[in-house]
Amino acid sequence: MLVVAEREQLPVPQAKAGEPEAWDILFRRYQLPLYVYVFELVHDEQTSLDLVQETFIAAVRHIGDLRDDAKFGSWLFSIAHQKCLQRWRKQSREEVLLDEIPESADESENNPDDLLIRQEQEVEFMNLLDQLPLPQRSVLLLHFVEDFSLEEIAGITGAVVGTVKSRLHYAKKSLRKLLEEKE
Amino acid sequence: MKTPREILLERHQTAATKLDTIRQEVVEVAADVNRRKQPVCELTFAAALANAIRLSFLELIWPCRRTWTALAAVWILIFIFNFSQRDKLELAARKLPPPSPEAVMAWRQQERLLAELIGSSGTGDAEQRKIFLPQPRSEGCMGNFFMT
Repeated sequence: MLVVAEREQLPVPQAKAGEPEAWDILFRRYQLPLYVYVFELVHDEQTSLDLVQETFIAAVRHIGDLRDDAKFGSWLFSIAHQKCLQRWRKQSREEVLLDEIPESADESENNPDDLLIRQEQEVEFMNLLDQLPLPQRSVLLLHFVEDFSLEEIAGITGAVVGTVKSRLHYAKKSLRKLLEEKE
Repeated sequence: MKTPREILLERHQTAATKLDTIRQEVVEVAADVNRRKQPVCELTFAAALANAIRLSFLELIWPCRRTWTALAAVWILIFIFNFSQRDKLELAARKLPPPSPEAVMAWRQQERLLAELIGSSGTGDAEQRKIFLPQPRSEGCMGNFFMT
């Protein structure tokens, strides 16, 4: 099963030119994945909807700053990530992002489809996802939802590629371990 | 078997309607931004003003709409409270029984007494002022003597 295998042709230049129809296509494409990402980080529906809206408005206002049109997706997610961080800072919960992991991951595990979940394990999977530390969850969600590359995830989260790689490795490892334990 | 992506997207499918509404609102903002970029001469003053109001609403009020609503609610409560208190005071004033004749008499007596006191002190001052008018030394002394 393919996740987001090929990068689709998105009307980013038209959006830059200010065409509302182009924005409609772009937002339609990203609204649900973006909401999933934000919701799984903040766990509040209204806050997530607000953050998605703020992200979209910021994208409209700052589209001129986007240099590479092909990176629109990761650029949009990086705005959402920053909005989440701002929200946490407002709530004085900065400490949730501070647990770092040593950088020692192997080169495998680049495919988000390598983890397949049975129907009876779905609820369990979501619970396990919630149990992961926030930096790991963030990386894992970006990997699962949009199949972003390590470089793109590093750009979104503001971490170095090595850290992203180790976070992804440990997140997948703990998830797989937890799933195996539940079997 | 499902991929994590499929599970995650399915789980949040219920938010799609709300997300559609948000998308439409932001697309309108994008259209406004686009219109704003067009040459100024094409815009009338009224349209520019409407755009400015609309944009400032979307950028200033709308993101903090809950805070603004809460503030508005507080102001409305304060207004209602003030209004109800004023009504109560007016009613209380109206409901007071007319004073009894004895109380009126006592009040007038008090007034009279006060007027007399003020009047007497007023005359005393006048007399004193008279007393201290510059006079020849001998007459002044005599005057003081007779006054006391």
